[in-house]
Amino acid sequence: MILPDKSLILPAQLETLRESHSSVQIEFRRVTKMYGAITAVKDLALTVRQGEFLTILGPSGSGKTTALMLLAGFISPSEGDILIGGRSVAAVPSYRRDQGIVFQSYALFPHLTVRRNLEFPLEMRGIKASERANRVDRILKRVHLKDFGGRMPSQLSGGQQQRVALARALIADPPVLLLDEPLGALDRNLREQMQGEIKSLHKEFGITTVCVTHDQEEALTLSDRIVVMRGGVIEQVDTPEALYDRPATLFAANFLGEANLLEETGSDVQAERSRPFGMVAIIRPERLRISTRGAPRSPDADQRQSVIGMVTDTVYAGAQRKYHVQAGTRMLTVREHVASGQQVYSPGDQVRLEWLRSDVRFVTP
Amino acid sequence: MVPFLKLSRLSIGLTLPAMAILLAVFGVPMVLLLLTSFNAPAFTLANYQAFVDQPANLRVLSQTIEISLVTTALCVVIGYPTAYVIAASSKQLRATLIGFVVISYLTSLLARTYAWILILGDRGLINNFLLDLGLISSPLPLIYNRTAVYIGMVQIMLPVMVLPLISVTVGIDKSLMAAARSMGARPFTAFRRVFFPLSLPGVRSGSVLVFVLCLGFYITPAALGGVRDAMLSTFIAAHAKSSLNLGSTAASSLILLAIAMIVISLIGLDLSGSPSRTPKPARKTWLRLLPSSGLITRYLNELAVPCRAKRWTAQLYRAGTDDRLLKIAGAMFVVFVMLFLLFPGLVVIVMSFSPGTFLEFPPSGLSLQWYRSFFSDASWYAAAWTSIQIGIAVTILSTIVGTLAAYGLSHTFPRLRTVLSMVILTPITFPVIVVGIATYLGLVQLGLIGTKVGIILAHTIGATAYVVVIVSATLANLDRRLENAAKSMRASPFKAFMRVTLPLIRPGVAGGAVFAFLHSFDEVVTTSLVGGLSIRTLPLKMWENMRHQLDPTIAAVASLLMLLPVVWLIVLYVTWWKSKPQALRAIRDAAS
Repeated sequence: MILPDKSLILPAQLETLRESHSSVQIEFRRVTKMYGAITAVKDLALTVRQGEFLTILGPSGSGKTTALMLLAGFISPSEGDILIGGRSVAAVPSYRRDQGIVFQSYALFPHLTVRRNLEFPLEMRGIKASERANRVDRILKRVHLKDFGGRMPSQLSGGQQQRVALARALIADPPVLLLDEPLGALDRNLREQMQGEIKSLHKEFGITTVCVTHDQEEALTLSDRIVVMRGGVIEQVDTPEALYDRPATLFAANFLGEANLLEETGSDVQAERSRPFGMVAIIRPERLRISTRGAPRSPDADQRQSVIGMVTDTVYAGAQRKYHVQAGTRMLTVREHVASGQQVYSPGDQVRLEWLRSDVRFVTP
Repeated sequence: MVPFLKLSRLSIGLTLPAMAILLAVFGVPMVLLLLTSFNAPAFTLANYQAFVDQPANLRVLSQTIEISLVTTALCVVIGYPTAYVIAASSKQLRATLIGFVVISYLTSLLARTYAWILILGDRGLINNFLLDLGLISSPLPLIYNRTAVYIGMVQIMLPVMVLPLISVTVGIDKSLMAAARSMGARPFTAFRRVFFPLSLPGVRSGSVLVFVLCLGFYITPAALGGVRDAMLSTFIAAHAKSSLNLGSTAASSLILLAIAMIVISLIGLDLSGSPSRTPKPARKTWLRLLPSSGLITRYLNELAVPCRAKRWTAQLYRAGTDDRLLKIAGAMFVVFVMLFLLFPGLVVIVMSFSPGTFLEFPPSGLSLQWYRSFFSDASWYAAAWTSIQIGIAVTILSTIVGTLAAYGLSHTFPRLRTVLSMVILTPITFPVIVVGIATYLGLVQLGLIGTKVGIILAHTIGATAYVVVIVSATLANLDRRLENAAKSMRASPFKAFMRVTLPLIRPGVAGGAVFAFLHSFDEVVTTSLVGGLSIRTLPLKMWENMRHQLDPTIAAVASLLMLLPVVWLIVLYVTWWKSKPQALRAIRDAAS
């Protein structure tokens, strides 16, 4: 166990401390958290860079919330260490960590007005009343709630509560912002709007942010990097684009978007010589091209592979049309952008599915 | 619009039986009591003048208020940390601890008072123990003084304080405290600024309940206090029995009632049991009447700002102190409180097996002689049988009437519901002695003094109030759409109620029935007034025994009474445990 540094730090020193570790802000060093016999997080090793927006993505029970709670200091690791700004915080209680947190249910104090809620973190830091009022005014304006300072949280809509929660987390300029399923309680339209809001606030404040979510769209739009977790272990860490385009595991591929397994579809992918040992071939639904079985082949046919299958189901979803096609023993999903003059297939139609060899990815199953 | 009106009128109609009994037994006589106190039709203040002119009266009145206030304060001081620790403990532990508090709450008041006589008396547990050790040569005066009154009253009232406190503190979102800490609030600051303000509604309702119950308190002060510790209730009861001057009794009852009403209206009492997570900031409290209090705290806070600023930077990222000691202290405190609540009962049970001619602790042997004497003495088991008969009749009547009323109330407009609930709850919110006097008047008018029917009616008004509180709380948690779903499947309102609503609220109805029975089985104040000379219920017989001769048989009776709530809790547990699949079946039945 690494002993916490009990030395006294002056604010000025703190600044240099923050800057000197500007590249890495948060570090998990082989952190394990056990609840009795259950391991919630196992050997977690992860770094978050200064100013980065990192999202931990995973299904419920994947340990993502535990990781966040460890970082917030509400629970302490069973093994390993967590460093913030280069300092071990294993023994530092949450109220001395200087973090802004947006809780899943917002946790706005129901007995305080919006203004008093926003003043709370400033008061705790010993900031004078006049300065507090200034800061509150500024941030209320920033989150478009200028006239709502006198309201009680229960008198706000869900979106407004969300913005107050964000403002409260940011108002004291903490170096780290933690978001716990921040948009889970909002409806779809509002969620998109708030995603934009969070993104612009993050850019404006330049604050290192760790967000936990199970919503892949949220993760893709907001993050600089995404951590995919499963069963307490990290599956993959990468930028959203890389993660989507080059998933390392079948789980990551399926959790972030959809993936078609190409095994046992009757295609020649199994004969592919470049296929690494122990891996399976997948392809994203939007990379598949659907055409009538007997249609003439495209000129670049030598770069393509294909299978023959039967449409079992079609789903129309506005901009896209989804086909489920039975090929071999597999069910493949095809996603096609709706365009005018396009041929529409119905269940029972025999079709050919084609794809570029270069679009096939090999992942660990 | 027309069917809607009809429906709401119909649901009001369901409260009619409860209202009719309440008005006949309690409501009309209450008005009569008011008129009598003013010497109607002359309308003079002579009775009140006479009350005020007697210095002894004023002394008893101030003493009553003082004892009630001190008891309430002690209950808050002991009850708040208890509730806090219980609410913070793990789920299973919490359920067990709440179970202990509920058992204490449901245990017969007489039995618990009797336990204190056994513990504090001159030949009681403590004195015997000290004498045996040779620490003292003559018994300490532990009983028949103010301290004994406080010990007994706090033990009896503590559950009334702790239970509402727990229900409020458990409902406080834990993430709020986490949020406060994440913003830099130290644990104590987080408690003071966030948890405590949110738990105030619980403190408020607990305090009001305890205070008002204390005002009308009768048994414990009379049994444990000295001559100088008389409460106004004792005074009123003595007056009502001895003097023919109803006017002065009426005046003193109404003075007591007025104090209770003032406290209730100033601080506010929420017995509705509807779980509202968000506190109502609009509620008027006496604290809000002082606009300066907020300003003062804010000013003091501002003074602390520079210090806080220094501390914040100095302590940032420093290791925290271990709070294990605090946790151990909390656990020990709760253990102590649980002992305080349950130990007296255990003492009585153990002592009831004493073999000698009087009770001793620990017993030198094991003997069932007092139990034998209970079951062989006709006057004891006749009293028990009378109590059981009355209890069963009260339970059946009040459960039916109360459930109908609660259902009716849940289907009316909120405003009407509030008013009617307040009326129905008066028998348990008014000081006990006032209810007793009014009921006495009512039964005199109905010619039912000294009859079982009279006692049943007298008990039913209080029992109905308990049933309404508990069933209303269950109904508030019930998804109204289930009933509508049944109706959409062509079930008539009656069928929908019987097949869907009733099975779903059955836990509440069963709980209400248990409360109704225990209320009747432990009632002594009203019963002693309306029972006349012919009817002896078990509590009455116990009470007389406790006052006059200490026949050790009473220990056996008290022990049996202590077991009663445990038995009932097991019965309730079984019904509730069984009700889950039944609730599902009810929905399925309605669908098919």
